Amino acid sequence: MAKRHAIRFGDYIQAMVVDTQQVPFEELMPEPLFDRHGNEHPQPVPKLKLGGGDVVKVLQPYLSTRFIDQARAVVPLAIYLALFQYIVLQTPVMDASIVAGGLLAVMVGLMMFMEGLKLGLMPFGEVIGNTLPRKLPLVGVLFIAFLLGIGVTFAEPAIGALQVAGSIVDPVEAPYLYTLLNDRGGATVLVVGLGVGLAAVLGTVRFLRGWSLKPLIFMTVTPTLALSVIAWKWDPIGLSSIVGLAWDAGAVTTGPVTVPLVLALGVGVASAAGKGADSSLSGFGIVTLASVFPILGVLCLSFYTALTVSPETIIAAAAEVKLAAAMAASQPQWYEVTPWAEVILGVRAIVPLVIFLMIVLFVVLREKMKSAFITYYGIIMAVVGMCIFNVGLTYGLAKLGDQSGGLIAGAFASIDAISASPLYSFSVGVATAGLFAWVLGLGATLAEPALNALGMTVQNLTNGAFKKSMLMGAVAFGVATGLMLGVLKLIFDFHIMYILIPGYTLGLILTLLSTEEFVNVGWDSAGVTTGPVTVPLVLAMGLGFGNAMGSTDGFGILATASICPIVAVLTLGLYVQFKVKREERRIAKEFALEGEIV
Amino acid sequence: MKRSFTTLTDATLITAVVQSGCGEVITDALLEIGIQGSTIHAAMGVGIRERLGALGVAIDAEREVVSVMVSSDEVDRIFERIFLAAKLDVPGNGFMYATPLLQAATYVPPSILSKYAGQ
Repeated sequence: MAKRHAIRFGDYIQAMVVDTQQVPFEELMPEPLFDRHGNEHPQPVPKLKLGGGDVVKVLQPYLSTRFIDQARAVVPLAIYLALFQYIVLQTPVMDASIVAGGLLAVMVGLMMFMEGLKLGLMPFGEVIGNTLPRKLPLVGVLFIAFLLGIGVTFAEPAIGALQVAGSIVDPVEAPYLYTLLNDRGGATVLVVGLGVGLAAVLGTVRFLRGWSLKPLIFMTVTPTLALSVIAWKWDPIGLSSIVGLAWDAGAVTTGPVTVPLVLALGVGVASAAGKGADSSLSGFGIVTLASVFPILGVLCLSFYTALTVSPETIIAAAAEVKLAAAMAASQPQWYEVTPWAEVILGVRAIVPLVIFLMIVLFVVLREKMKSAFITYYGIIMAVVGMCIFNVGLTYGLAKLGDQSGGLIAGAFASIDAISASPLYSFSVGVATAGLFAWVLGLGATLAEPALNALGMTVQNLTNGAFKKSMLMGAVAFGVATGLMLGVLKLIFDFHIMYILIPGYTLGLILTLLSTEEFVNVGWDSAGVTTGPVTVPLVLAMGLGFGNAMGSTDGFGILATASICPIVAVLTLGLYVQFKVKREERRIAKEFALEGEIV
Repeated sequence: MKRSFTTLTDATLITAVVQSGCGEVITDALLEIGIQGSTIHAAMGVGIRERLGALGVAIDAEREVVSVMVSSDEVDRIFERIFLAAKLDVPGNGFMYATPLLQAATYVPPSILSKYAGQ
């Protein structure tokens, strides 16, 4: 008779799968301490000691998820640009290793900055937003909102791109453009900040009073358009080249720092007044205002400059600066050399905002920060990230954009960089350039995480009538078309107003016809698309392209990329509205018929 | 129409508290083996950051609580699956527990109801 072994099936399963063992939970609990009266002693939280392997296990997912988030936005764009250059333009990427290093710096910098923003700056925004309205009268709150608007503008990573772009402008061709970006660069950013501050105030008041966005849009967009027309047509002051910059400035402001911080304050005010919950739309509108007011501000500043300074003085001053730069080139100051210049920019961008937030929190509100260690870690991350991002901006995004922009002209015109240029016949070349811009816009927009979030909100808001994919499609289509229009503008060298006037007129007409929800969503969708990666890349591309084409004004591409999604979303909104109404009518009719039959 | 209702017996609730974003990893792992009806709640966790010191910044204080009801016979298998899917052997990732349920009720397909009709 054969010997038989018996194993419990359960034991077999356990042995096959995972080692399990049992430990009483008590082992994990701290030993309670009692004094001699039998009361429990308070005791500090015991620190957990981790081995090297565990530290890696904890840090690895933390770092990789955050890095992948940024890489997802940067890598496909960079590969697209490089492949396009290599295959269509038949030119390899120049300084490929420097550009790659720069892009890596952009990803690492953004990763650190976004984490710092979340851990270091957002808690301030939330605490201030929640407690400020309870401790200060409305005027005080609005004043702080105004100052915050200025502060966040300086901290916006994309704003550095404007300054980088300024160094490419030729002072003789466009003196006012040059001065606004270089020696008056600080004033320009300040004016943009004032605009954002004003938008924060107006947006907050709008939350409280429940104003409709429509009249606000009409009241702000119309004068801005009018001023732009004056700047464009009124020849003697020579401001025509400034219009593109002004409208681009609006697109630059609404980035990852401004939107959440200003919103946190606005929502806090609204909920303190008991008006937060009733309107799911309350989060919208500020973004729109924050992109219109800066345009107005930059236009006003340019008028002021034009009336007080003559172009000749600017050109002379620019020549002087250039001379001084040439002299200094042999022996540059330490703060002008590469890493330090960017570090100073980064520190200057974040530190004032942090100090301002701290003053509000500790002095005005007399609140304490919870988990101070995490907050300080976040602030340090934000500053360091900003510095690294700035380095990457100069060497990665701006360089790559400038290069592709300059080279793409070679598709249809003769340029120095490509000896065989023009590579294609004029019509094919122009079509190639247009298509290139279109695909770039589509890809960059669909990769933007903020758009995904907006899509979800809209889908919930309209009970699914306006699907997320529809909104994302409309916005991406709009941005793509806008970029293409911007590139065509540079090729055929017509003025930006030829696109902006019909575009915004159409936008205003559609605004009149649409319901409040779609107006809010549509106008905000323009601001959402312009993130910290897209803006510098597109700006540099436009300027490089403009330079290669010999046109003075490479700005304006962002502006056209802002209006087109507005028109696209509003149009789609009208269509959805129409469809919903038709459906309702059909159902009503069916019910009526049923009634007859019964 | 007369309505009837059936209670289910031998059910166990598995609850896992994990870092924000990890909840879907668990529900996906459960769906793969046909376990549906998980719930994800948003929550805030307190304590682990303090215990980990400087390393605490790598841990998200925002948590997700996943709860799923399973048959008591299957508990060990599913408990283990969730543990592995959520990588709960990494410090700070979260914790989970199983609680017996007194009774539960939901829609029961008629084919199953008829099997137990006589009892």
